[in-house]
Amino acid sequence: MSYYDIDAILTDSQKLPCTFELEVPGLGILEGNPGENIKAGTRIDLPLWLGEMLSIGARLGTSRLVTLDLPSALSERVMNALKADPRTVELRSLAPHFYSLSERILELFEEEEMVEVLSNTFKKRSAAIADHAHNPQGALGQGADFLRGLDETERQLFRVAHDSAKETRIWAGEAKKK
Amino acid sequence: MAFPLPRGITPPEISFLAEMEMVTILPRQRLEGLELLGGPVEPLLPPRRASLPLWLALLLKRQRRANILPPPWLHPESLELILEIETKDDDYQHVFSPPPPLPGQPTPRDRRPPTIRSQYTPSGEKYHPAPPFLPENTTRDHIPPGEPPALPFHWLEVGTMLLEAASDDLVEPDQTRRLLKELREVRMAKIRSGVDVLDAAAMGGGGVALTGVGAMELGEGRRFIAGVVDGLRRIGASKEQARREEMAEGMANGGYDGTQDYEDDEMEF
Repeated sequence: MSYYDIDAILTDSQKLPCTFELEVPGLGILEGNPGENIKAGTRIDLPLWLGEMLSIGARLGTSRLVTLDLPSALSERVMNALKADPRTVELRSLAPHFYSLSERILELFEEEEMVEVLSNTFKKRSAAIADHAHNPQGALGQGADFLRGLDETERQLFRVAHDSAKETRIWAGEAKKK
Repeated sequence: MAFPLPRGITPPEISFLAEMEMVTILPRQRLEGLELLGGPVEPLLPPRRASLPLWLALLLKRQRRANILPPPWLHPESLELILEIETKDDDYQHVFSPPPPLPGQPTPRDRRPPTIRSQYTPSGEKYHPAPPFLPENTTRDHIPPGEPPALPFHWLEVGTMLLEAASDDLVEPDQTRRLLKELREVRMAKIRSGVDVLDAAAMGGGGVALTGVGAMELGEGRRFIAGVVDGLRRIGASKEQARREEMAEGMANGGYDGTQDYEDDEMEF
């Protein structure tokens, strides 16, 4: 993850549900009430980078400002759906950077089971991606629904698999250049 | 990220490397020995066979100065047999057909290790050649009985190039072309379905065997496989971190009584 990586920046801006533990003066702007105070116990969706910063006090031993919750994209319901059949879930509608988001979340929460579920999901889906990418019809075949549900990481995977298959076909003289 | 070329090696580059493979030719004209950077080329005397690098053999073939003798595996019967191993044999449902045996490695039927012919570098050090520096595409006068045909490292490239430039020297070129295509599809499907074992490569200390996979297949699968392994590594990073911490903790606790010395080696790894 590099400083200029646009995907990392976009991952940072995904929303995370946070609960304020303390009353903060003048921060009502986050809630849509500029100039007001924010009350303790308020639940607001904050971007990942901000929520991470505000909750980090807990680690330093001072009283924490907010507590984080799991985002809806990684809720129990989604995990159950992924356990049932990874291929039918539209990850893109849950979060455009689903895997990058879960990677960051897993750094913050200890979720042994989620690691298992996500690794399994990623494996199953990559196998399906590879099959679609090697299909000469590409994204136009019957798999269009599945391909529309891919998140950014998976789209990149699809692209490299498709490109290398295409390059090899061009070399072998089975396909025309461009 | 900013580097515009894709990572890895492109198909034309792989086939360029494959042109260094030695093949056997039957010259039609005399040619004096050449001193090339890649090593000397023996003089060509028409009735005698000679081993040349593939690029030179193709050049002579295009000028009608030589005929290329197809390597033993590039024969419909051999390919048919390999295809059968790949598709029908239960032991090879998910693995690739075995590569040609290395020098000194016993063949499946013949348990007695064959004599190793050591080679020497110009400075006099002994070494054992390994692919891609083995003559896997030359014809041999006698094939030891019981040695099954096997696909060499550069099978797809050499096969395709010979079909393109020297199809009249091959036995049943159309049949060969069809078999090569089928083999390639079967093996690419195996690479794709092999994603299931890739998490072993993502976790610490694991590995995935790619024995018998050819150069072009590696080149085609490299970027996808690397992407999957990287994705799995990133998802499992927190778990791996926890595992390491646990291990370090175990080391700190058990480090005093000296009974857990073996963990030290593990940590270094």
